[in-house]
Amino acid sequence: MTTDHQPQIISQRAGRLLTITLNDPARRNALGVALFDQLENALEAAAATNADDAPSVIVLAAHGSAFCAGFDLEACVQDTALLPTFVDRLGRLTARIRALPAVVIAQVQGAALAGGCALVMSCDIVHAAADATFGYPVHRIGVSPAVNVPVLLATAGGGGARRIALSGELISARLAESLCMVQRVHADERALQGAVADLAESLCAKSPHALRATKAWLNQVDGTDPSGPLGSAAARAAQATIDACRTDESRRMLESFWQQRRSRP
Amino acid sequence: MIRSASQCSTTLERTMNERASLTISDGCATILLRRSEARNALDCDTIDALRRCIDAATVECNTKRGIVRSLVLAGEGKSFCAGMDLKGVLHDPVRMGDMLRGLSSALLALRRLPVPTIARVQGAAVGGGCGLAVVCDFAITHPEAKLGYPEVDLGVCPAVVAPWLVRRIGAGPARAMLLAGGTMGGDEAAARGLVTRCVPATELDAEVAALAARLATGGAEALACTKRMLNELDGSLDEKIAAEAAELSARVIAGPEAQASLTRLFAPKPQGGPAGAGNPAR
Repeated sequence: MTTDHQPQIISQRAGRLLTITLNDPARRNALGVALFDQLENALEAAAATNADDAPSVIVLAAHGSAFCAGFDLEACVQDTALLPTFVDRLGRLTARIRALPAVVIAQVQGAALAGGCALVMSCDIVHAAADATFGYPVHRIGVSPAVNVPVLLATAGGGGARRIALSGELISARLAESLCMVQRVHADERALQGAVADLAESLCAKSPHALRATKAWLNQVDGTDPSGPLGSAAARAAQATIDACRTDESRRMLESFWQQRRSRP
Repeated sequence: MIRSASQCSTTLERTMNERASLTISDGCATILLRRSEARNALDCDTIDALRRCIDAATVECNTKRGIVRSLVLAGEGKSFCAGMDLKGVLHDPVRMGDMLRGLSSALLALRRLPVPTIARVQGAAVGGGCGLAVVCDFAITHPEAKLGYPEVDLGVCPAVVAPWLVRRIGAGPARAMLLAGGTMGGDEAAARGLVTRCVPATELDAEVAALAARLATGGAEALACTKRMLNELDGSLDEKIAAEAAELSARVIAGPEAQASLTRLFAPKPQGGPAGAGNPAR
């Protein structure tokens, strides 16, 4: 049931604002080959624009009831070589988002899990609807969220990062807010969209140079710049995770997880 | 070495000695402090026993990869751990130093365990006892519990526990907590990030068991990899800081200010204090 004809990513430019929308609601915007390809292209295009024309604000949004449910596990079960490549691509993608000169706002409704949560955490500012859920329930398929741990550590601090990354528990938007993973929670999706539009508009009115410089400096100070200690650790983590994905444990857990899910009524 | 599933499901009882024990049951290791008559205050023997349990648990985790899935640190009796018991070593700087080095290195070994660790905190976790809870990846307590770092109130420096608190709650909040001294209830400890969760006392065991069960459903390699990453990134494996902290703490305790205040604290009380009243970190 592939939906290859319909674009999985929609990019819309309006002045200094670029909105990138995940557009595979039927699969809860799961990260598969096509979505990775198109998201990478959209970000590539944003970064390739020369500094004067470049967007100064990017909103990362999603169509449907879920923001992003993580990797396309069905594809991973069918082709076991895919999972390590997904981890690799997710690592590069999140590093790229963090390094983008533009301020990136995540607009999150519904589930933002595993790879979806990693995408959100790599953004600069996160707004969520009250129904949003976050977390890394990936140990159950034998995968480590290590690639996203550095940025999580910079965002939520040590206690919060250990809780989220080791327990795999799903947390509400409110709890995510109290752990500093989310900056604002809104009553519903409509309020969320309105608030993000207002924020994006006010950021677009500011000096693009000052915004760029401030983001770069924050990345340097908190170590999440790709060349900084947390950024380079993330690259090492990606390799360790890829190695872990290639183990029998991981394959076995993924298969049994998928069997259980499929057998659910 | 291959072990069959039937071997793993049997309970392995391994009592290290009277002061602390290691039990492994259903994939969960438990280290129990067993000096309840002194609210599990950490004297030389208790620290040694704890360290042997941690080392044994490390061996179990490494040789039975994927079978031991989590570790619970608990204290027998009414209190988790009342802190360092300095009474017996107050005027013996050499043993005092050994004790602080022993604790510092035990905390590091606890953090290095390749499985997630959960502190089950009932009653009191103060000073070094709070340090033990904070080194664990998760800590669960109840509203009536008393937690915190009253070291400065006694003229003592919480150097050994400070790096772990900074790693858990961040530098700014740790500064405020350690410099202000005092203790707090379980709810405040949860609000300030000292513990993961505060639940009614009657639900403490169930909450710990549920968390351990949840952790056991994860990939063991994936969890070990995640924990290694966290330890590497937050400076947990810094042996130099741990060693310096023990020396600094020992120096401050040997100084006149701490000696005077601890001597006053340990002086026999006219009415006769309760058992374990000699613990500095109350």
